[in-house]
Amino acid sequence: MKKIAIISGKGGVGKTSLTASLVSLAQKDPEFNVITLDCDVDAPNLALILPPKSEENVLTHDTFTTKKARFLEEKCVNCKQCYDDHFCEFNALDWDESNNIPIINYLACEGCGACKVLCHENAFEINPVKSGEIISYEIDIGLPLIYGKTKLGSTTSGLLVSEVKQHATKLKEFNDANFILIDGPPGIGCPVIATVSGLDYIVAITEPTPSGLHDVKRAIEMVNQFNIPFGIVINKADLKSASQKQLNKYIEKAGFEILGKINFDLSIPEAMSYAKPVVDYAPESSASQAIKKIYNNLKLVLSTIN
Amino acid sequence: MLKPKIICVTGGKGGTGKTLVAVNLAIMFKNRGYKVLLIDGDVENPNTFLLLNAKLKNKKKVLYFLPKIIEDKCTKCGLCAENCETHALLYIKDSYPIPISTVCSGCKLCYKICPTNAIEPDLKVIGWTYTASAFNIDLFLGELKPAEARSAVIVNKLMENLEKVIKTEPEKYDIVILDTAPGAHCDVEELINGADLVIPVTEPTRFGKLDLLRIVELIDLLKKEHKAIVNRSSLLGYKEKFLKELEEKHIEILGDIPLDEEIVSSYCKGIPLMDERSKFDRDGAGYKSFEKIFENLLKWGDFSK
Repeated sequence: MKKIAIISGKGGVGKTSLTASLVSLAQKDPEFNVITLDCDVDAPNLALILPPKSEENVLTHDTFTTKKARFLEEKCVNCKQCYDDHFCEFNALDWDESNNIPIINYLACEGCGACKVLCHENAFEINPVKSGEIISYEIDIGLPLIYGKTKLGSTTSGLLVSEVKQHATKLKEFNDANFILIDGPPGIGCPVIATVSGLDYIVAITEPTPSGLHDVKRAIEMVNQFNIPFGIVINKADLKSASQKQLNKYIEKAGFEILGKINFDLSIPEAMSYAKPVVDYAPESSASQAIKKIYNNLKLVLSTIN
Repeated sequence: MLKPKIICVTGGKGGTGKTLVAVNLAIMFKNRGYKVLLIDGDVENPNTFLLLNAKLKNKKKVLYFLPKIIEDKCTKCGLCAENCETHALLYIKDSYPIPISTVCSGCKLCYKICPTNAIEPDLKVIGWTYTASAFNIDLFLGELKPAEARSAVIVNKLMENLEKVIKTEPEKYDIVILDTAPGAHCDVEELINGADLVIPVTEPTRFGKLDLLRIVELIDLLKKEHKAIVNRSSLLGYKEKFLKELEEKHIEILGDIPLDEEIVSSYCKGIPLMDERSKFDRDGAGYKSFEKIFENLLKWGDFSK
C-alpha cells in the first residue's frame, strides 16, 4: 500500500486540480485500487470535481474530536480562585463581576481540563462536542472518497484530519486498496502535519512566484523533519517572474526531484468551471499531457519506495 | 479611549489574493495620510513582507510550555499523566513519565498539580515574531517554525503585541490591517474576532464560492460586519452563477479586481501596485479597481482620524 499527499504551503497553487486529475488517472490504471481523501477540512473542495455517484450513497458521520469545558453554577462557591490563579492558560476563563461567577469563552476553550481538575468544588466538567463531519461516498467514476469538514468554531482541524485518515481504514474497500491519494490543506501547521504523518511520499506543488517559492521551501523543511521523501511539481511553470530562476536554482542546488512542470493553460480553469478533472475535460491539452507525465513519474518513484 | 479601526482581510480558500488586498489597502490608507499598521497573521506562510520587499527586524522567539520531569523530585505517582486530557505524558507504573511534545496542549496542568513540584516548564521555541517598516507602513509578522503545530500561539502573541501598542500609544496608528491564513481554523478565527470590519477575498469559481460561504458563516458566527472582494473577476464560465448565489445569500460585495498583468508584475517585483511613487499605469484595470474598492471602503466604515 502506498500513501501519498499533495501539499503546497501556499494556497491556491493547484493542489485540488492536480489531485483530481491524478485520481482520475489512477482509477483507469489497472495496477491501482485507489481510495481518495480530502484532508483540507477547513475548505474541502475535491468533492466538487469528484462528486458522488448518487446522493443515496453519501454517508455522513459526526465527529467529536473536540472537548469543551462546561461550568456548573450549582457547585460554584464564588471563590474566584479559577480566575485569580489563572487556571486557564488559554484565557478562556473570564470573570462575570455582576453575577460573581466565571464565564467560559467557548471559542477560546481548548478542553484541556485544567479548570476541572484544579477547581476544589468540581464546578467544571469537560465534554466532547461536535467538531465536524466525515463524509464518505463512491465517486461517479467508481471509487471511494472521504473528506472531513470542520464545524466552524470547533478549533481542532488537526484532530479531524487524523480522524479522516482513520476512517479510510474502516472502509470495506480498504483491504483491497493499494493506493491512498490525499488532497492536503494549505499551510505547514497542525492540519498539514496531521496529513503527512505516516505517509510514504509527498507531492509538493508550487508556482514560480515569490510567495510560491517562500512557502514551498517551508513546506519542504517541514516534510524533511518527518523524513518523508517528496517530489516537486511546478504549476504555471512558464510565468514570467524573477522567481522562476530562484525556484529552479533552489531545487537544483538541493538536488530535489522534479516530478513535472505544468505551463499556464486555460483548459485548467475551464475544466474547473465544468467541475471536471482537466485530464478528462481536455485530455489533449498541454496541461493534461503534463499531468500524465507527472503521473508516470510519480508511479516510477513510488515503485522504488518500499 | 481612541482606538484604531481594525480591518481583517481573510478568505477561506488559499490563493485568492488576501495578501495582495491587505497590502494594497494598507498602502492606500497610507497615501491618504493615515498611520497604518499591517499585521501578517498567516504565521504558517507569512508573505506580506515579500510584497512589500521589507527587511524583517526585531526577531523575537515565541516560547511554548512543555513539561520537564525533574527525576530527583518525581515519585512516579502518575498523577500528571492521569489528568492529562491530551495524553501528552506517557506513564508506565514505577517509571518516570515521558512528555510527548507533539500532543501537549501547553495547559500547564501537570506543572500545577504535581504534589512534589517535580515538573518544571521547559520552554521550547515554536516560532518567531518580527517587525518591519516599508513604504511608510509598519509591519508585525509572525512565523511558525516548520514542523511545529501550535500556530495559534504565535497569532495570539501578535494580537497581544497589538493590544500593548493600543494601550500604551493609542494614537500611534489610525488603521490596523490584519492578513489571515487560508482556512477557517482557530488562527483565522482569532484575527476575525479582533476586527471591526472583515473583508473576505474570493474568486468567481466553484471552489471560491464554497469556501466563501464557509468563511462568511464563521464571520456571522463571530457577529462581525463583512463585505467581500471578488478577485480575478474577469474569469468567465462560472461568474454569473457565482454572483447570483452571493446575492441570494445576501453577501455584499465591496468591489472586484479583474485579471491584470500589472498586478502580477507588482507582486513579483515587491512594489505594491497602489504606492504613490510606483510607476504602474494609473488607468490600468487593476489600479482603477483598487481605487474603487478604497472609495467604497471609506463609505462603509467610519474612518475619521
